Amino acid sequence: MTQILQPETLDEALAVLAAEDEAMPMSGGATLVAMKNARLVEPTHLVSLDRIAGLRGIATLPDGRIRIGAMTRHFETASSALLTGSLSVLRQAAGKIANRVVRNMGTMGGSVANADPAADYLPALACCDAVLTIARAGGERELSILDYVEDWYETALEEGEVITAFTLPAPEESPSAYRKIARVTGDFATASCAMALTADGQGIRVAIGACGPGPLRDPEAEQALIGKLDDPDAVTALAERLVAMADPIDDVRGTADYRLALIPRLVRQGLDDLKKDLR
Amino acid sequence: MAKKQLFSLSVNGEEVDVASPSDATLLETLREDLRVLSPKRGCNQGVCGACTVLVDGVPVRSCLTLTALCEGHDIGTVDGMGEDPILATLQKHMVEKGGVQCGFCTGGMLMSARNLLAETPRPSRDTVKSALSGNICRCTGYRTIVDAVCGAAEELAQ
Amino acid sequence: MTLDTSLLAGTAVGKSVPKTDSAEKVLGRAEYIADMYLPGMLHGAILASPHAHAKIKGYDLTEALAAPGVVAIVTGDDVGEGRMGAFIKDEHAIAKGKVLYVGEPVAAVAARTEAEARRACQLIRVDYEELPAVLSPEAGLEDDAPILHEKLADYIKVFDAGSTGNLCSRTELVEGDVEAAWAECDVIVEGEFTTQPQAHVSIEPCGALATVDPAGRVTLWSANQSVFRVQANVCESLGLPMSQLRSLTPRVGAGFGNKMEPHIQPITVALAMKAKRPVKLILSREEDFEMVRARHPFRVKMKTGAKADGTIVARDCEVLVDCGAFADDSPGVMGYALLMCGGPYRIPNMRAAGQLVYTNKLRFGAFRGFGNPQVLFAGEQQIDELAEKLGMDPFEIRRKNLVASGDTWFVGPQVASCGMDRCLDAVEEAATKPRADGTPRNLGLSITAHISGLLGTGAIVRMLEDGTISLNTGATDIGQGSDTVLAQICAEELKLPFEQVAVASPDTDGSPYNWGTTASRVTYTTGRAVKGAARKVVDQAMAHAAEMLECPVEELELREGGRIGRVGSNSDVTFAQISGRAHWAIGGPIVGSDTLVFDQPTHDPKRAVALGLPFPRIGVFSFAATAVDVDIDQVSGQVSVHEAWTAADVGRAINPQLCEVQLYGGFVQGLGFAVVEEMVWDGARLANPSLMDYKVPTSRDVPDALHAIIVEDPDPTGPFGAKGVGEIGLNPVPGAVANAVAAATGFRHRHLPLTGERVLNGMIRAGTA
Repeated sequence: MTQILQPETLDEALAVLAAEDEAMPMSGGATLVAMKNARLVEPTHLVSLDRIAGLRGIATLPDGRIRIGAMTRHFETASSALLTGSLSVLRQAAGKIANRVVRNMGTMGGSVANADPAADYLPALACCDAVLTIARAGGERELSILDYVEDWYETALEEGEVITAFTLPAPEESPSAYRKIARVTGDFATASCAMALTADGQGIRVAIGACGPGPLRDPEAEQALIGKLDDPDAVTALAERLVAMADPIDDVRGTADYRLALIPRLVRQGLDDLKKDLR
Repeated sequence: MAKKQLFSLSVNGEEVDVASPSDATLLETLREDLRVLSPKRGCNQGVCGACTVLVDGVPVRSCLTLTALCEGHDIGTVDGMGEDPILATLQKHMVEKGGVQCGFCTGGMLMSARNLLAETPRPSRDTVKSALSGNICRCTGYRTIVDAVCGAAEELAQ
Repeated sequence: MTLDTSLLAGTAVGKSVPKTDSAEKVLGRAEYIADMYLPGMLHGAILASPHAHAKIKGYDLTEALAAPGVVAIVTGDDVGEGRMGAFIKDEHAIAKGKVLYVGEPVAAVAARTEAEARRACQLIRVDYEELPAVLSPEAGLEDDAPILHEKLADYIKVFDAGSTGNLCSRTELVEGDVEAAWAECDVIVEGEFTTQPQAHVSIEPCGALATVDPAGRVTLWSANQSVFRVQANVCESLGLPMSQLRSLTPRVGAGFGNKMEPHIQPITVALAMKAKRPVKLILSREEDFEMVRARHPFRVKMKTGAKADGTIVARDCEVLVDCGAFADDSPGVMGYALLMCGGPYRIPNMRAAGQLVYTNKLRFGAFRGFGNPQVLFAGEQQIDELAEKLGMDPFEIRRKNLVASGDTWFVGPQVASCGMDRCLDAVEEAATKPRADGTPRNLGLSITAHISGLLGTGAIVRMLEDGTISLNTGATDIGQGSDTVLAQICAEELKLPFEQVAVASPDTDGSPYNWGTTASRVTYTTGRAVKGAARKVVDQAMAHAAEMLECPVEELELREGGRIGRVGSNSDVTFAQISGRAHWAIGGPIVGSDTLVFDQPTHDPKRAVALGLPFPRIGVFSFAATAVDVDIDQVSGQVSVHEAWTAADVGRAINPQLCEVQLYGGFVQGLGFAVVEEMVWDGARLANPSLMDYKVPTSRDVPDALHAIIVEDPDPTGPFGAKGVGEIGLNPVPGAVANAVAAATGFRHRHLPLTGERVLNGMIRAGTA
């Protein structure tokens, strides 16, 4: 039987996580309790982060950047008035997670910690150049989202650590969009694409989801595309770089080949849609 | 017998003390320990929506909610909210418009619909379909359920 | 909550009265099997086989029996040699001697809580000797294939199955001369089609609750589609006299075929008998996927030929059907698919042949449509292919070949009523109008027939002392509303307000026999029995009234509201007066009962040759036409339905709203089958036994513009002309969607489901991507 703990401070929570080998932090529970119900996890302790003040909510920092607390529910992210322009991609991704009821429960921190390669936040955060704040007993560190996923379901998050926040650059007015291919509404992605136009409209940031252990992004190739958004060959070259980075698997949502075929189609369509938004 | 813990809950406006396994889900506590049986176990994975209940008016999956985290919150289930005018209007339209078939999804569906109409007085059909997309119905094809929710919204807006 | 009672006024047939169980359901008060609790009740759990095919060499229960809360454990050693099965008796109550699929119940535990029972299951040690497995019907037919049922020859079979090796059954139906007919054809199309296994996903998982009284008699509640089939199956498999088991039903959270034949009722009874306490067993969703049953995957080889004017001359259809580990309803499904594979057309030369093969997979069984959607997926695409080759319109070629009232169906059944032409007209008129936004439609059409009928049914109508009515039929209402429809039929015949008829819950101790809520049959067959029984009540009441009013019966009339009076006179007597007299003075209580078995032969030996036909008598025909207008996502290839129309000839809509809901619900379940749902096996193991991995359509995945059009061509034998509507709305969907996708993309798909991946690949091959 699992003991449920509800500490009121982060330090308390981190202390338990440091002391107990098989304790797990729990945020919204949407994934963890489902796994516990299926007996896929049987931790000695579940450390709920729910009562800890300051972990929930979206705010603009004095320098204009946006901070999202790890315990922010998907529905809050999906309806945030602060996530505009270049950050609207994250709002859109949140709104495509599962369904309204699960969005009432699930949190950004929980989803990212679980690191399901087909979940929606990873590519959207990658597109936004998000930085994670990770706390452990006695300290905290920051990590770029692009360095976060290390392998299938393996992340840079170490035992005893919890994600406490996500920091995003200040929103730009340029359009951004999240496009998700899924079997039915609310399913995990078969493939997904998060894309934003740069502030000057000359370049893009683009991240692909569900086509490898983590989100696919190639900043170098994005650089090479600057000023060439109307050149189909240049766009194809970027898409091909992402295809080359991809390491998809066959699963019940689709084959690896299908996912590889979707990447350039998503990139081309995404760019067309953003250019339309611009006009 | 697994170790039980005493929880103080507020269920449909009533304060109850209930002994339940310390790591029980709200669904288990409601059904096995309180015999509140309108939330159904359809998948225990949070996908089907048949277990949906309201916590402080917000629909959540009771199968993914730990009872321990519900102390201090108001829990509402379809069988115990007879006085709620939004729910009563929805119930009437569900019956009249043929939104009920086997009924197993109905309670959870009504919880999602009730929240929608509390937040959004005159939702479009698309908004209704979106709000109900986390409650699977295998009988109706959703058509008559959406009709019922739209009909209830119309009546409540008058 | 208040109900608009104006909906209930007047006579009943043809009115969309709300379902009698809707109020309790919206109030969260309906009781399903999982909601039942008895004093001293234990909870059951099942240990499933990890192997597809293995000998069971022994069990070690020591650790499990010592686990907290455990009261009893049942294994194959606890059940006798009895075997159950609708067509071939090949299935023990629980695995005995061998396991035949991953997920098959091997042992079951009764404990104080479900959690304890589930934990104890993991402590049971089973000694297996693995055997090579058969994972496809093709593999099962190979000469050196491992054999699943070594004693197949000895099993009891209810028809000429032709079983041998892993061949569970074979059926062949021939009419006319197909081989000679190809020479008459100007165009011939030929192809191979495959369909995937589909899970029922009733939102209520299967469950049962059993208790044994001190004399040893069992009372069993379960989620079911027939209390009588439950009784027969439990008693056959456990060797109990049928008089020793009473089978009942709480509300049922839908079935679609999944709950018609047994699931875990025999195991639950065995546990209760061993524990000597009530036991409730409710499957998890994962177990419901892995243990129970699913829609058969079919391989269909079909060839169809027509003359230059579009007249269809011949069709040849060969099916290879995966049976899974046990026969269950499979011989019926295959036989029915072959009977229906010509579609609702006049085709003078037909050959339909099938082989049903045991494999080491979950049993496949009854699922709404019963084999018809699979063959129709092939057949309706071939009609479109013929039309393309002949340059004909899809509506025109169908219209030219339609079956009509008075025709004889393939091998012999009579078509007594047929609104097929009107269904086609209705759909054509609605679907060929342009879209509101002016974008072009991508239309696909498919038409179908389906029977309603089969086997025994009965009804008892009893007039209570106050003149109100108790109706008892034994038909389980699985949520589709049969209690309501049967009450409407009864009320109409008695000219009583609908709400004065109370419908009894099925009970094998007290209800007349009813084969089950299956085969789109309850309205038609049970409705006939209800009408017949109600008529007998009227006749008896008339005899009383004649004496009370002192006039000949011929001068009496039945009046609205339960009165009988003399024609031309205001004086009358009420049902209450008549019933009071019958109960307390003269004649005895007024009870009418009626029974019937559908009695028209399926096979006319003068017309056709039929080998291994599992249904000597079948039923009357309903018809439907479905058109879909699809959109194809240009990035992913995914198909979505923009608008859809189904027109169905239901004979007479006893309750139009409930007919419409059947068509809506059938359409969406068919849409899931057509574009997304697929049970995937990874070797011997089901790879997606959960709602996380097996997806069904949500409210956002269905067209908002979903139209149901009711056509009424009354059947002369149906109650007020009614025929069935339960399955007909699902049948045509895969074929219609495939035809629409072909129209939209230029690529014809012969494999279901039409996932985005398949459609995109087709577009790439057709150069339309």
